[in-house]
Amino acid sequence: MSLALATLIYEWRRYLAAIIALALSGMLVLVMQGLFLGIIHTALATTERSRADIFILPVKVPSLVNGDPTLPNRVQPQIFQNPHITEVRSVEEAFGAWVNHPGAGGKQVQTFISVWAVDPIAGAVTLPVDFDERTRIALMEPGAIAVDESALERLGTRLGDQASINGHAVRVRAILHGYQSVDQTSVVASRETVRILSRTDSATTGETGPLEVRVDNPANVDLVRDQLNAVAHGAYRAWNRPEFNKANEDALMSQQIIGVLLIFLTFVAILIGVGITSQTLRGAILSNIREFASLRALGISMGSLRLIVMELSVWAGFAGIGAAGIITFLVSLVAGAAGLPIIIHPAPALMICAMLMIIAVVSGAMALGILKSSQPADLLR
Amino acid sequence: MIATADMALTARGLTKRFKTGRTFVEVLSQVDFEARHGQVTMVMGPSGSGKSTLIAALSGLLKPDEGTVNALGEDLWARNAGKIDRFRLDHCGFIFQGFNLFPALTALQQVTSVLKYQGKSRAEARRIAMEALDEVGLGPRINQRPSELSGGEKQRIAIARAIAKRPSLLFADEPTSALDGENGQIVIRLLRRAAVEHKAAVVCVTHDVRLEAFADRVVHLEDGRIVAERSAQPAESLVHA
Repeated sequence: MSLALATLIYEWRRYLAAIIALALSGMLVLVMQGLFLGIIHTALATTERSRADIFILPVKVPSLVNGDPTLPNRVQPQIFQNPHITEVRSVEEAFGAWVNHPGAGGKQVQTFISVWAVDPIAGAVTLPVDFDERTRIALMEPGAIAVDESALERLGTRLGDQASINGHAVRVRAILHGYQSVDQTSVVASRETVRILSRTDSATTGETGPLEVRVDNPANVDLVRDQLNAVAHGAYRAWNRPEFNKANEDALMSQQIIGVLLIFLTFVAILIGVGITSQTLRGAILSNIREFASLRALGISMGSLRLIVMELSVWAGFAGIGAAGIITFLVSLVAGAAGLPIIIHPAPALMICAMLMIIAVVSGAMALGILKSSQPADLLR
Repeated sequence: MIATADMALTARGLTKRFKTGRTFVEVLSQVDFEARHGQVTMVMGPSGSGKSTLIAALSGLLKPDEGTVNALGEDLWARNAGKIDRFRLDHCGFIFQGFNLFPALTALQQVTSVLKYQGKSRAEARRIAMEALDEVGLGPRINQRPSELSGGEKQRIAIARAIAKRPSLLFADEPTSALDGENGQIVIRLLRRAAVEHKAAVVCVTHDVRLEAFADRVVHLEDGRIVAERSAQPAESLVHA
């Protein structure tokens, strides 16, 4: 075992501050990024968990997050012309004023909410795969809505309670899990109910929401997407599922404030990481400075001592990455228990590991100066 | 200049000044010094007499302002810093008053970590280190860390670390002053053995008068000057005890 690794293991208490600083820097960036991803995926849960193989958006709309995704009515029959396509339905959303009907001792809640439409037909393309059969049947009843458990308190309601949306009576008939709202509370209802609540439908507006499309055989998805795009003539663009999910993620991540926030957080994490790690390394090396000086006396060059310090910082980097992984895992468990989804993709996680290693190596380089005080002549006293 | 075959170290006219405030203090003034292979040369004197500065100048750790050091036939201070490092790596061993052992390393690793820098293979470094630790009587304790060892044992590891390289020049700075009488005896005997059996030139700085008995030559330093110099005949019983 090398001197650097042996020292890091044996004197781990001295290096603990550096390792924790690295771990917290990594965790901060990982968790923030994971939370943003979690938020976008939760906000899009009804489309992402649908059975759609292909999504149809207007040609210039970059994602579901930004741009107006309404399509003219005529696109829907056009899509159906492809022989591989078995089902096409639009994604509809209504907005309205929610008023609860509080029971004895309850307070009235009036708030603005959105209502996502699903088709409560077994196996329908718009029906999320994690809706159970009881939820589907419950939504078949006109005026029935399903509410995520996290929104119940905000809306001042419970399973079975009545309320009104835009003055229409609705009843909470099902509770959902994992459909948290980000800013505006959203609930789920059948397409029929949404049409009644919104007082509009495509027959009067001439427009539908983006389309969800199902293909006869999953192997044909990319083929069908290409066929649809080939005959689109600028009327729409077809996306397969991975493209669509990534576009939504990227749109959220690049939305100005989130992008700037993430860059700022990364900057702060690097600053704190380098600051604490380099100071800790300096202190730890200083505590062994007489031993380093005795190596100098025995003829071991300054370059070799620098290599020992750099190796030490690389090992500290590995320890920091490991600790960041553990802390992030624990934090995501806590967040999950609190209903906050954290999604961590391998690519950004690897980039953050690289960031931590760079922090460690830069800190090691900054701590090198302290070796100058390893003057072997000072040992002769 | 005297240059006999067994001369290891010859210094002429060594002068070193340190600046304190606005004045210069001359720590060494015009010191001539010699050390021979196979002999223990003891440098004695009160605190502040310049003993440590002398040893630093002789060993390539601190450049003197004036004077030359001829070590193993070459002008030591005519070399550049990298070459002096290399010279120390190849030829010099050091033993300090504080033992300066890495807390994380076992006795064996303390010794092998230095040998590795001499380009020795893992197996060879291990073999040499075991030999050196056996020589200082720590063969059974090679896997112990400094915190598990007594002061005397730590100094013996430091000696093993210094002699494992088979240095031609072995410098010791107050090697016994942190030790009790018995351990001090063990340490000085080991230094003596390095001189007699391995033909090293041992230069030992001390103010412990009990060590005089083990010296071949004793040099007394006071205020940066050599005030007395005499050859001694170490008692046969002490040499081979």
